[in-house]
Amino acid sequence: MENILKEFERDQKELIHILHRVQEEFGYVSPPAISAIAKHLKISENEIYSVLTFYKAFSLEPRGKHIVTVCMGTACHVRGAPRLVDDASREMGVDVGQTTPDKHFTLETVNCLGCCAIGPVVVVDGKYHSYVKRMDSIIKEYSEGR
Amino acid sequence: MKLTIDGKKIEAEGKKSILDVARENDINIPALCDHPILGPFSGCRLCIVEIQGRRGFAPSCSTYAEDGMEVKSDTPQLRKTRKEILGLILTEHPDACLICTEKQSCDEFKSTIRKVGEVTGCVLCSNNGRCDLQDVVEAVQIDKVDFPSVYRDLEVKKNDPFFDRNYNLCILCGRCVRVCHELRGASTVHFVDRGPEAVIGTALDRTLHESGCQFCGACVDVCPTGALTERAVKYEPLPDGTAKILCPLCGMGCELDVMLSNGRMLSAKPAEKGTVNQGQACVKGRFLIKDVVISPRRILQPMIRRRKELEEVSWEEALDFVAQKIKTYKGNEIGFITSPQLSCEDNVVAEKFAQEVVKTRNVGMSTGFTPLDSLWHLEQKNGISPSFHFNKEDIARAKVIFLTGTDLALSHPMLWLEVLKAVRNGARLLVASPFEIAGSRYASSWLPIKPGSEDLLYRCLSKMILKEGEVGGHDLEGYESFRRSLEKLNLSEAAEVTGIDEKSLRRATEMLMRGKPYFIAGMGLTPSSGENKNIASLWNLSLLCKGKLIPLGLENNQRCIFEMQRNNSRKTKLLSQILQAVREGQIKALYTIGPIPLDKKIKTELLIVQDSYLSGIAERADVVLPATTFAETDGTFVNVEGRTQSYSRVIQPIGESKPDWWILSQLAKKRGKKNFAYKKSQDILKEMKKRIPSLKKPSSAHTKRGKQKFVPLRARYHGTKIGKKFPFILSSDYSLDTYRNLVLSSEIKGFEMVRNARWIMINPEDAKTLKLEEGEGIIMESSVGKKKGVAKITEAVPQGTVRASFLWIEGTEEAFNPLPVRIKRGK
Repeated sequence: MENILKEFERDQKELIHILHRVQEEFGYVSPPAISAIAKHLKISENEIYSVLTFYKAFSLEPRGKHIVTVCMGTACHVRGAPRLVDDASREMGVDVGQTTPDKHFTLETVNCLGCCAIGPVVVVDGKYHSYVKRMDSIIKEYSEGR
Repeated sequence: MKLTIDGKKIEAEGKKSILDVARENDINIPALCDHPILGPFSGCRLCIVEIQGRRGFAPSCSTYAEDGMEVKSDTPQLRKTRKEILGLILTEHPDACLICTEKQSCDEFKSTIRKVGEVTGCVLCSNNGRCDLQDVVEAVQIDKVDFPSVYRDLEVKKNDPFFDRNYNLCILCGRCVRVCHELRGASTVHFVDRGPEAVIGTALDRTLHESGCQFCGACVDVCPTGALTERAVKYEPLPDGTAKILCPLCGMGCELDVMLSNGRMLSAKPAEKGTVNQGQACVKGRFLIKDVVISPRRILQPMIRRRKELEEVSWEEALDFVAQKIKTYKGNEIGFITSPQLSCEDNVVAEKFAQEVVKTRNVGMSTGFTPLDSLWHLEQKNGISPSFHFNKEDIARAKVIFLTGTDLALSHPMLWLEVLKAVRNGARLLVASPFEIAGSRYASSWLPIKPGSEDLLYRCLSKMILKEGEVGGHDLEGYESFRRSLEKLNLSEAAEVTGIDEKSLRRATEMLMRGKPYFIAGMGLTPSSGENKNIASLWNLSLLCKGKLIPLGLENNQRCIFEMQRNNSRKTKLLSQILQAVREGQIKALYTIGPIPLDKKIKTELLIVQDSYLSGIAERADVVLPATTFAETDGTFVNVEGRTQSYSRVIQPIGESKPDWWILSQLAKKRGKKNFAYKKSQDILKEMKKRIPSLKKPSSAHTKRGKQKFVPLRARYHGTKIGKKFPFILSSDYSLDTYRNLVLSSEIKGFEMVRNARWIMINPEDAKTLKLEEGEGIIMESSVGKKKGVAKITEAVPQGTVRASFLWIEGTEEAFNPLPVRIKRGK
């Protein structure tokens, strides 16, 4: 954490960059991280929390090794995205927004990725899967080492 | 500039928003998120107006009024849009009562039922009748809400002292967030989550207490709905009147509006137009006033000790008894103690009583160890001409502020708000404090010095400035010898002692040399013994920087005592001298109006206590005379700036308590004195003006400018020695958390949570070594005495240091700062 903070100036405008960097490094922003950032930037933890909860990009809890994001935009929705979410949820045994106990998967939804033509779309760790019909094959693909 | 609003031709000056200009001219534009003390926000969109030649609607709160503007605030289109906007706001606020057709008859015949679990309408809400949202609904004339309403069913937050937070009533106007950030600099609450989930909250949903809230109550006062409500008035009727008082709980002298119902005190609120506080207060002024005045500890009747018990007697009997008893002692056998918490009137009469009736030289009026006193001593001894008077507004305009020896946000909250204003205007704030204080976050540079090395730090800074050259004071008397005295100072050796390296020192020096710094010197600079070298060095530093030294006091009326002593030919003594004489047996009888320490060695044949509360020393008294508090009598206070303010009685005296001046003048009459014929406190005014000249002409009395000169600093610096026996350094924390004999935190539960006088703050590492747990009873021992307290583990205190409230009611009357101590577990 200290090494990350060293990369940034002690200026409030750096807040989002720091949060991104922490998110990237640890997969989430922990309470101790919030207080370290607050000390570094000399702002209150409450202000940081406000920014953290505003953006979906930041997580307050540890996330899994693989992030599975199902698009729930209108186009994907009509093409069966809700079913994909249900399937994924059942396969993984967690609800949307949660992480499996072994910290392998995190299931998330998003409200449109802007590539409606290839929907329904599922993104795993930044890789786009198009015309998804079944979730089990995707989950299996990423289950290695589980 | 000239503009028209709703056809009315208006002339306005300066940079102002359309909304402000409209308000000045009695044009009412509805607004919810806007508040006079806050910056524009454009959150609620209700204040929209049409401006000729511009497209769409502009929010008038954040649009500047310009020359030639034609503004319309009340067109059919605007009215329709406003109704729609307000309808959207009301979807998340219980609206049944607001738009009810039976509203009028309900208001007339039904009273509010407030003891309910969930507030689902105005008749169930404690804010009914004092709600900005109700007013706006009235102004906008909305009669139906077209959108489905949502009750969010959020849990009401009741875990914090003083007020509840029911966010089911919140309309997300952000006033609380803004006042906490913009004005108070605390940023305790903020918007959390977004969209429909958005709510006002704290980090990780902690309690306010855990999030650094100081409970100033500013958010409660700006909340336009019943979301934030003070618990004390929640189930009370609406006030039928308000009256102004002056808060006596620190040296600021904030004006407060006391809310009354049938002559009963409900609560107090900062006065919006208060000279010193402009609508702001701190936790003490906002939430404690009622509990201080109406305390179960109040003494209702005079009492005389018979057969070891205090027995209630009539005033006549008590006064006769005291008058008789006093006669049996020689003048100087009687010690007489007054207090800087009493009004000027009380102190003038008390001093006169001591001199003319008791005829004793043993009169103690103050502890005499505040920076104010120290600077005065320098004036007497060295012939310097300090100016004791200042305007708090000047601080807001300062470019550089050096805060030392004080946690200003706690000791003088209103001065801290001025410092914050300065910081927001680009001022550099330099903080020298061993602890992390509220100021640390806003400091351009925080010098975490080792306790007790302040004097040396100021000398180092002086030396650095001399090395850099320039700034001021070269032609003043004493400059050469001051310069020479610094020659031997070795900066790197000094850095070892102060804990401040040369790099930080250089940064601080650069800041100080930017121009005319304000040095705010607090009670933390109180010396461990003898003369106050801290203030002497700081005085020299301030001359060198061409700055201004502001010496702070402690009590609300310290300045009055200070003036009285300064203009007195008859010398009074220090409190410690009187108590020493008591311990040595020279004083046989003690008459005290002020609180004195509970020391077993303080034993006299006769102890007369004139106080409002049966606590502390009053419990040991032979005679107890019940005095009124500030709310039940008229009086005058001189605040820390030197500003004279008067206050009047707002409630009937509780029990048979009487004003202090009344008790003393009655006693004088019993002893046959004719010149104590006061009927009301105003009768004392003439004598008061004679004894306290600055009351007549406040500003000039303090600025008789003589020649400025440097004070010689001969003594070499000695650090505080820590041995194996006393391995910690205690640095005391000074804020006035007592009123007369009442220790606020031991009587008021909520305040105990915020600032417990029994806290002994210790670093987590030290706590681990000592195996101490939070809240555990600990005993702190030093060579001069011991104090019991509870452990408060915090990173704000560095290792090897402890911080504890200086509460001399429990300890000794001497201030020892810093003091080597040892800590052990125990109750």
